[in-house]
Amino acid sequence: MDIFLQQLANGLTIGSMFALVALGYTMVYGVMRLINFAHGDMVAASAFVGLTIYTQVMGQATSLLAVVTIFLLAAAAMACVGIVLERLAYRPLREAPRLSAVVSALGASLVIQNGIMLIWGPRMRIFPELVPQVYWDFGGVVISLIQVIILVLSLVLMIALYLFVEKTRMGAAIRASSIDQDAARLMGIDVNRVIALIFIIGSSLGAVGGLFIGLYYRGITFNMGWQYGLYAFIAAIIGGIGNIPGAMLGGMLLGLFNAFIAGYVSSTWADAYTFILLIVILIVRPTGILGERVAEKV
Amino acid sequence: MKNLQRLGYPVFIVVMAILPFLLDPRWQAVAITFLIFAVVALSQDIILGKSGMFNMGQALFFGLGAYTTAILNSKFGWPMLATIPLAILIPAVFGILLAGPIVHLRGDYLLVTTIGFNIVFVQVVQNNLGGITGGPNGIFGLDAMKLFGWELTNQVAVYYLAFAVLLLTLLVMRNLAQSKAGRALHYLREDQLAAESIGINTRVYKIFAFGLGAGIAGLAGTVYASQYAAVSPEAFDFMQSVLFFSIVIVGGSSVPGVLIGVFVMFVLPEIFREFATWRFFIFGFAMILAMILRPRGIWPATFGKIPKFLIKESNHGA
Repeated sequence: MDIFLQQLANGLTIGSMFALVALGYTMVYGVMRLINFAHGDMVAASAFVGLTIYTQVMGQATSLLAVVTIFLLAAAAMACVGIVLERLAYRPLREAPRLSAVVSALGASLVIQNGIMLIWGPRMRIFPELVPQVYWDFGGVVISLIQVIILVLSLVLMIALYLFVEKTRMGAAIRASSIDQDAARLMGIDVNRVIALIFIIGSSLGAVGGLFIGLYYRGITFNMGWQYGLYAFIAAIIGGIGNIPGAMLGGMLLGLFNAFIAGYVSSTWADAYTFILLIVILIVRPTGILGERVAEKV
Repeated sequence: MKNLQRLGYPVFIVVMAILPFLLDPRWQAVAITFLIFAVVALSQDIILGKSGMFNMGQALFFGLGAYTTAILNSKFGWPMLATIPLAILIPAVFGILLAGPIVHLRGDYLLVTTIGFNIVFVQVVQNNLGGITGGPNGIFGLDAMKLFGWELTNQVAVYYLAFAVLLLTLLVMRNLAQSKAGRALHYLREDQLAAESIGINTRVYKIFAFGLGAGIAGLAGTVYASQYAAVSPEAFDFMQSVLFFSIVIVGGSSVPGVLIGVFVMFVLPEIFREFATWRFFIFGFAMILAMILRPRGIWPATFGKIPKFLIKESNHGA
């Protein structure tokens, strides 16, 4: 029972990071039908940017204000990268065959990943201890302050995003564009603005996810984006890609699944089990748990 | 372009045939790598370019062939040459079995599933399943290939083996393009609904394309294993699959396009070795730029003898 509760806590923590990153994938896919392979590397870049802001700009301060500033600056930086990425690598290819945009995304991923390596070096860096190491022991189940912060902050961000997409005019524009871009344009929606907004939101949520990864795992490497990005993308697919609540659900499910596999079965086979889960879900429900059944556009 | 192509093939074959005598051993090794990777990229082209299935796991079949050869040679003492049939058959069967349940998936889902197969394969090999794959270090000390009692120990011999496999692959590609199966694949790539409605069993042909592509990649794996007399997991990880995928799209699903793609992705890095740390950074930019300038690939595919005015600029597929 102890293992169960411990892995439940760990799984929810990992899951909320997956979910934050998965939202970036799913929103871009929803509107552009494009797997933004560079998203995972932007998540990694965010952790490094956070590291540099901490050491160079904030003078290694760990006050609440300093930590909040680090989060905001890193998110803003990644939002800018997201917009530049969209303008340079994706917008020129919007009318091109779909796979061209996929290769462009792979190229952008290489650029960002190796850009990180050129700037911060190929070795693992240690992310600063921004949050004090506080642990609570509930009869064998240990929960840290970091876990609580990650879980609460992720939930707040996700609920805020959900309300924004469901309740505001701009949110309605996002939903309309993801159903039918051309029809949305005919209704007077500026699809270019919607896409820019999606990259801003997705990238800054990913940036928060990247900082969480740094806080939680501490060791950050230039090529970690692929690993987390792939998992987050799988989470988005499991939930039904293009579907925002689906990404949150998928992230949480995948986080729990991983934690329980690590706790009860073995961690050497974690990747294999994750992909088996993905394949089983795709065979049973080809469009994910919350995805609608739609035929591929002809 | 037609004339260029007609002239291009004999020139290419002659140049490749005399190439090893013009190169020093280091560049001979690079040339062998070029030939092997060209075969894998062409096999990927059958699945991705010719049939339009978003497969990002081709290194799996390449690796499966290489490991089949390595295991049969090192654990069961088979001569290298005798492993070839199984090194084609096992990847082909895996291709069919793995493709079976997933070919109906929408493009991007198929892509992620094939990435998954590739990652699971590497994990299986690294964890040394059944104690025969050698774990993270792989298997080394394989025998040299023997052909009619003649050992292919030197590099030039391996080069000609790889060259022969490339020629064989080109022959298969040409026959495929002119066959019923090739036309069926072309239709289903262009418009699956229309293909189904004129009576093409799309599921069977999709699985066929996977089986064929996997078998050819497996054969390339055997040559790879005999070049290095070794196999190791990282040579077949999913980054390799990403490269093969990119080659076909950047090159543009035609034989010259794929060969240019392999040259750009695997030979240029060797030339610019001094810039090793900058290599992939620049590569990424080159990939984006290539796609923006030539969205249909450097050397786009042509099919059959259809007059130009009949070809509608289609917006899907590679």
